[in-house]
Amino acid sequence: MVRALGAAGALGALAITACATHPAASAGAAPDTAARDTRYWVYVANESSDLISRVRFAPPGELVEEKTIPIGIMPADLDGAHGVAVSPTGEHWYVSLAHGTPFGKIWKFAAGADTLIDSLTVGLFPASMAVTPDGTGLFAVNFNLHGKHVPSSVSAVFTPFMNESKRITTCVMPHGSKVSHDGWRHYSTCMMSDQLVEISTERQAVTRRFLLTPGQERLLAVDDLGAHAMHSGGARCKPTWVTVSPDDTRLYVPCNGHAEIIELDAVSLEVQRRFPTGKAPYNADVSPDGTTLVVTLKGAQAVAVFDLATGRETRIPTTQPITHGVAISPDSRYAFISNEAIGAVRGTVDVIDLATKERVASVALRHQPGGIAFWKMEGWERQRAAAR
Amino acid sequence: MSRRVIALFTAGLSVGLVSAAGAQLPAVSPEQAEAGLKVANVQIEPGALEITRGDTARARAVLQDRTGNPVTGAQVLIWSPSPAVRGTNPVTGETIVVWGRQPGNATVSVFVQVPEDSGSFQGLKGLRQVGAIPVTVKDWDVARIEIAEPVYRPYVGTTFKLTARPMTVNDSEHESATVTWRSDKPGVVSITPSGVVTPMKAGRAALVASTENGVTAEYTMTAVTNPTATLEIAPKASSARTGDVVRLDVRALDKSGKPVDGLAMAYSVFGIDSAGAHVYRDGTFVADYPGAYRVVASTGGRSAEAVVEVSRRPPPTPAKKVGQGVRTEVATSDLWVFTGKDGRDYAYTGTHAQGGGQRMFVWDVTDPSDIQLVDSVVVDARVVNDVKVNADASWAIITREGASNRQNGIVVLDMADPAHPTVQAELTDQMTSGIHNVWIQGNIVYAVNDGTSAINILDLTDPTNPKHAGQWELRPGDSNKSLHDVWSDGQYLYVSYWNDGLVILDISGSHGGTPTKPAFVSSIAYSQGNSHVAWRYGDYVFVGDEIFGCAECVNGPRGYIHVIDVKNIEQPKEVAKFDVPEAGAHNIWVEDGVLYIAYYQGGLRIVDVSGELRGDLYRQGRQIGWIPTAAGEGEAVVPNSPMAWGPQPFKGHIFVSDMNSGLWAVQHERPRPLVP
Repeated sequence: MVRALGAAGALGALAITACATHPAASAGAAPDTAARDTRYWVYVANESSDLISRVRFAPPGELVEEKTIPIGIMPADLDGAHGVAVSPTGEHWYVSLAHGTPFGKIWKFAAGADTLIDSLTVGLFPASMAVTPDGTGLFAVNFNLHGKHVPSSVSAVFTPFMNESKRITTCVMPHGSKVSHDGWRHYSTCMMSDQLVEISTERQAVTRRFLLTPGQERLLAVDDLGAHAMHSGGARCKPTWVTVSPDDTRLYVPCNGHAEIIELDAVSLEVQRRFPTGKAPYNADVSPDGTTLVVTLKGAQAVAVFDLATGRETRIPTTQPITHGVAISPDSRYAFISNEAIGAVRGTVDVIDLATKERVASVALRHQPGGIAFWKMEGWERQRAAAR
Repeated sequence: MSRRVIALFTAGLSVGLVSAAGAQLPAVSPEQAEAGLKVANVQIEPGALEITRGDTARARAVLQDRTGNPVTGAQVLIWSPSPAVRGTNPVTGETIVVWGRQPGNATVSVFVQVPEDSGSFQGLKGLRQVGAIPVTVKDWDVARIEIAEPVYRPYVGTTFKLTARPMTVNDSEHESATVTWRSDKPGVVSITPSGVVTPMKAGRAALVASTENGVTAEYTMTAVTNPTATLEIAPKASSARTGDVVRLDVRALDKSGKPVDGLAMAYSVFGIDSAGAHVYRDGTFVADYPGAYRVVASTGGRSAEAVVEVSRRPPPTPAKKVGQGVRTEVATSDLWVFTGKDGRDYAYTGTHAQGGGQRMFVWDVTDPSDIQLVDSVVVDARVVNDVKVNADASWAIITREGASNRQNGIVVLDMADPAHPTVQAELTDQMTSGIHNVWIQGNIVYAVNDGTSAINILDLTDPTNPKHAGQWELRPGDSNKSLHDVWSDGQYLYVSYWNDGLVILDISGSHGGTPTKPAFVSSIAYSQGNSHVAWRYGDYVFVGDEIFGCAECVNGPRGYIHVIDVKNIEQPKEVAKFDVPEAGAHNIWVEDGVLYIAYYQGGLRIVDVSGELRGDLYRQGRQIGWIPTAAGEGEAVVPNSPMAWGPQPFKGHIFVSDMNSGLWAVQHERPRPLVP
């Protein structure tokens, strides 16, 4: 079974119904009955090793790097494996290779066999990626973080043939990539333009922009590329990510430069709530059951776990510094956290039990693990059958 | 609502449907898949597309069943493997839209989606090809033809070539247009369609160049009587070794004994008892293989001959390992060997990603047979790609890539105690993406910026406080470039700009440049690109490729050394190469007529580059020594596998860093002098 609940979880209201039949769908389920026989897998990109780690977790605490997959063509230079995305059915995964001569690439792999299928050259420093619910569209932000601050782009890719169907100019240093669960909209942010950008996946064009600068939050003109935002001075959000609630009604944006999460109404793009965080919130993910927001704190060597009903935060230290990415399992039970570490120290993946708010496992990977994506879970079907 | 959005919704609503429909492809409903099964043909109007570069074209596609009746409701996809075109997917309605990216011919295939078990294409289940349409992408129209002024005078009986470039309306050279030549008086000046000219008799003729689209240009040629009365070649007989360039002095004289200027000469070479020599248009002869050769120079019905007897060059002499600084936990990158202020000899080596490249190692190499690791410097990095020491060994620079804070830049070391250098400063501003290589010229440092592909020029007059002093980049504002290395002889910078080739900049004033404001002088690029490293010696710049991932790269990288003649610094030209067929070139050093190449899996190569160079130096036998820098179990990160990174001759030894095995000291006994 491949990531069935992952796809179902993309349905908003319907997803919640579907998940409710899952024995571990409730975050409060007892650990020894909910997930004891379930196995979970994530793919993690080790940016300074040019290796992808396939990591398997077996509750309560067995976490292993069961495979490494070499990527890149320049062993004498770092190709820079940055972002990872998995297709909704779990049959394929994608990795962005940030460095090129000069343009980066996206490689497509068969999941499990982990064999290269195809590749595509995109823009400068492709980073985060997101796949549409039907698996045919992939949106990669071209981060272009070096040199002059000029507007960059989002590459829209038709995955069956790995064609770049359009390169959509957004703003300066786009980062974070998320497709709404209904498949209509793509969201990204721009670190140096302080913008949230909404793209129509159908039209492959920018439909709305929102300024995230603290105290100046507002909708912007669709053609405002934000080229001058970084010169404005004062407090800045410096957004690094955006994620979407399972029902597609809320957006969550970590302000890396302002130590808070902004919750936006996805329809009006009005600010609903602010969640103060520790230093340098970076990536975020919402549990498929919609109850929990997990935020990596890059500057605090920790993750912040928010109860979205109450806004209450639980802070959980990670095993290595430069806490980077987060992926939550489809049963909303576990958060997988990548930690880059520093220099020759190998980075790690930690597993956080979202029911107990505790770190339950950790494993050393390679150098600078960053991009992380959930692949699949197995075994929960047997649990459900036994329960019946 | 478009089919795309329908597809997105259906994929979300039913996992079973996605699985049944083939997960990689857009989801289709059972009705759409069923409609796809009915399709036997696609009628495309027009039956072929011709697009101008950058434009789009549309074709109407009508799906038909076996009886020719239209089929509606099927999901259509189009695809082409050619980089010339792009199509819009998924196709909505009956219109196929194709965009011409670059000139060329392509086939655009048309597919319908069917049930997963009813068709597949290149591993994509649920896909059935039903038709195809040829697409031709034309370049922009030719607007004019540029004719180059011939370098030869049109003497009767000589032969040379006229060249012409078809230029588009956008002032680029047309990628496929053919220029065809004709003469209005072929009895006076004949010309082949490709432009080979032969003046037949004195007189004037109009030579007309034309393209397929009717653009023409005319060159008026006045043929004159060939005044050559005698043709002499000297020396009439000579001897040389393989690879030695023999300059044949061919002199055409008129009746009064004066030289005839601008005369096109034709040369041919015949092997008397061998084969494998070349004579170039300027009269230089060089042989790859030993033997006797007859060289004939001819013009206007006159000819002269010479014989060149070629002997084999001496075989390579042994190069042997005398010492090794073993590294087994981390890959090694570049090196620098020097005499420290304490009078002892040291090598500093960088470290690469495998194993975590956060260190610079300090080796005492005073006794090359007993290399001692004495210290290391740890920085926040995952690749220390380059290490350079300044002229008086008072400070050094190491480069950083993969820093945890993504700041990178350079680190400056204080070498008051060369055995135990300490960090005295760093500079990251404007260099956050990483610095790949540096070159030190006095107190100026030229740094290769990974992110901007610019050279950051740094002032280290005060090494405790490095400052930006300037910047130079090719085509400012154009991000489509890649910078890899920089080297200087104090007069010029030789910049390896990957697919833009070698770029030469003046820093001494010959072309208005200064050390902090370089001025462009010239550049030379070649089709395979990947220009990685450059080093000037005498009249030549040696430029190395670095090619990974190529079709021939079955056992690792490829790429070779290009020899660029820069006697005229404004018009560099490639004259020779050193190409080990089964390996890939990396860093180089040239000194005392010898080229040292760390040839990756080919180990260290030692090449005689004394004298004049022409042709294929490897085939000529100019390699005078080599050693595979492979170390055994327990002596290498990857045992028994050479991956030589950088060479440096120093005090009679050759030091080589090898990614897999650390630092090597090599001794090579060779005859002196190299030039006989």
